[in-house]
Amino acid sequence: MNPIAMRYTLIWGAAIAGLAILGVYTYLADLALQRAEFVTGYTLFAVLLVLALFNARKKLAMVPLVRSAYWLAIHVVGGISAVVLFFIHTGSVWPGGGYEQALALVFYLVSLSGIFGYVVQRIHPKRLVQTDLEIIFERIPAELAELREKAEAEIRACTEETGSDTLARHYMETLTWYFRRPRFFVNNALGGDAGNHWLRNQYRTVDRYLNDAERAYLDRVDELARTKAKIDVHYACQSTMKNWLLLHLPLAAALLGLMFWHVIVVNVYAL
Amino acid sequence: MIARPQRWDAPFGPEMADADVERLMALPEFASIDADSFPKHTPLDGILRNDTRIVRYKSGDIIVREGDYGNSAFLVVSGNLRVVIAPALPRNLIGRQLSKKKNFFQALGQLWSNRTMPEVRDTSRYGGQSVREGGSQTQTDARIFLQDIPAVLDQHNTAQLGPSTLFGELAALGRVPRTATIFAEEESELLEIRWQGLRELRKYDPTWRKTIDDRYRENALKVHLKSSPYFEGLSEDELDEVANATLFESHGSFEWHVSYKRMRDQGKADKEPVIGRQGDYPDGLLMIRAGFARVSVKMGNGERTLTYLGAGDTFGYDELWASHLGQDISLQTSLKAVGYVDLLRVPAPILEKYVFNKVGGRQVASPLHHLASRTVAQDAPLEWAVEQRFINGTMAMLIDLNRCVRCDDCVRACASTHGGNPRFIRHGRTFDHWMVANACMHCADPVCMIGCPTGAVHRSLETGAVVINDDTCIGCGTCANSCPYNNIRLVDIRDTEGKMVRDPDSQKPIMKATKCDLCETNPGGPACVRACPHDALKRVDFRGDETFGGAIT
Repeated sequence: MNPIAMRYTLIWGAAIAGLAILGVYTYLADLALQRAEFVTGYTLFAVLLVLALFNARKKLAMVPLVRSAYWLAIHVVGGISAVVLFFIHTGSVWPGGGYEQALALVFYLVSLSGIFGYVVQRIHPKRLVQTDLEIIFERIPAELAELREKAEAEIRACTEETGSDTLARHYMETLTWYFRRPRFFVNNALGGDAGNHWLRNQYRTVDRYLNDAERAYLDRVDELARTKAKIDVHYACQSTMKNWLLLHLPLAAALLGLMFWHVIVVNVYAL
Repeated sequence: MIARPQRWDAPFGPEMADADVERLMALPEFASIDADSFPKHTPLDGILRNDTRIVRYKSGDIIVREGDYGNSAFLVVSGNLRVVIAPALPRNLIGRQLSKKKNFFQALGQLWSNRTMPEVRDTSRYGGQSVREGGSQTQTDARIFLQDIPAVLDQHNTAQLGPSTLFGELAALGRVPRTATIFAEEESELLEIRWQGLRELRKYDPTWRKTIDDRYRENALKVHLKSSPYFEGLSEDELDEVANATLFESHGSFEWHVSYKRMRDQGKADKEPVIGRQGDYPDGLLMIRAGFARVSVKMGNGERTLTYLGAGDTFGYDELWASHLGQDISLQTSLKAVGYVDLLRVPAPILEKYVFNKVGGRQVASPLHHLASRTVAQDAPLEWAVEQRFINGTMAMLIDLNRCVRCDDCVRACASTHGGNPRFIRHGRTFDHWMVANACMHCADPVCMIGCPTGAVHRSLETGAVVINDDTCIGCGTCANSCPYNNIRLVDIRDTEGKMVRDPDSQKPIMKATKCDLCETNPGGPACVRACPHDALKRVDFRGDETFGGAIT
């Protein structure tokens, strides 16, 4: 077994064992007409705190804390376990009471955004590799500008050499839109190929009006456009891999706040 | 149109005058040489004019440091030098970095001690460094000097080197670290001979050849042979005989990084000199001392790389053993120099006498045995790694792009442990889903160390990492220009108030060379590896089995 699988197996084993113990404890407490919510609640509280510490770990890169990869494994397994623990704690999928429902809503949103982020981070890196291009996210605007300049230079050269404005007109009507900024974001993020499909269509549309000299320019512009299609995939995938955290982190902070208040209220009024 | 560049277009010492060459020719070391034995295109006076330079050292100047890489040898013309025998000089005295690991709280302290401005230095500490300019007034001629020679002589066992002494030739020709520190005891004049000139002198003059070869046999060869499993159990006399019969060879260019960088920029493969050709009969066992060589077989219209060999590896044993057993067998593979290779050739009769007959020819593990059954696809990563010369890396940053989510946690972690500026770029050459990022690979053959005038670039004694001593770095850029992989960067530095530090005379910004130091002073190892949540980033030795997930073995 490779070390990563071994790591997850061990952490899953510990989590399942913990959940089983809590499940049995809750069942036995119910039979004995005792309340298990205090224990399950504080366990959930502790688990959520540990999950939140992962972000703090990232800020302390200079300190020899346990490797981030272990923290992520604990975060993933702990996050999924927290959902089960939440059900054990509340005894239902949707609790009663306005405040508890707000807490549950935020909890579910944090969990769903976390699962979304995890899935995206498992799928998108492989899709980026398949573009056969590697680009740093921050460099994308500069790369796009460079491609646009090259494409426009080709169009100008075509007009000057052939005396025909067909390709230039086509560029102004359609391709300029494409080269201006990243396009087909949603489709690219979902794994589609709309960009290349659109480019093939545009090529066919104008190809019939061109002679051989103009077609050579169209081929070069098309090559630049294909490169841009790859960069668009990078933009969409890398954006998604970064931006899900903009949802997950504020929601997690809100959840922590709501959770603290919940603990205070429960300790003051319910015990 | 320009004239084809010639070897001596850029002389080693541009200031060498006719009078200097005449004076050198009168020295006994050169006066005794038969100038006619040199070819017309490489005359002796041409070598002296173009491959040597006269360097004057003041009392206390360090000439070579233990552990330095160098591509030149020295002949003492006048004055006296001292070689430090034992104990070695403290590292701070020779311009090295005294690295001390931070404890947990010191490491944590970086959280608030890191400045908002990158590359801030406490400039007051630079004043105490014993760095002074050399004779030529160029930045690359700066020197570290010893301030208190009598104290050094008192506390260290040293030996005097007088006029006519040649030193540094083994390190220069063998591309191995210098073994001792030598400093000028008084004002001295030395002739520095770059390796190309030294090679020609050894090649065309029997006296120089004998001097250099005898020294090598005496100082290094027997130790090297003893450490080889092939010659285990031989007596001293027998080892002497093996050593006396062994030939020294070097293939490729010592400055391979220059041609490599050019070829890489142009996207073409570098030329690789053939050492042993598939189909030829082996005349001896080839033992690699330094550098790398590619083992390949003919495949279609090209050559397929089977493996590569480095220091300590051998080539041709299997075929020689088969010949000993009576089989008519030629070399099954070719051996080519990847960059620069320094090797020993132990003649076949010697091997017959002392290995096959005497020791019984026991099977010694050959690195080539397991290679035949591999598919071309399996070998593709290896082919790429050799082509790109990444095999030089002992701690290369390898990123699995199938796992990397491009979060840049590694970059931020590096910046937070290095005063706010990362020491690598998460970008580099890719193969399939692997990327070798632009981070120092801590090479087996660290060409960046060659030519550093103050010895600021050096190998750490503690970890073996190639590190830069910021205190003695003069920002000349020699290392950055030499690095074949563009992994060293020069940065403008700022003082503690955030102001750019400038040279008071020229007003030009003061620069320092920076690169990955494997977080040598930080506890826990490289922060980049620890910070990667997805197990995407590894530091790998390209000779290790785990590289490319075990694809290279």
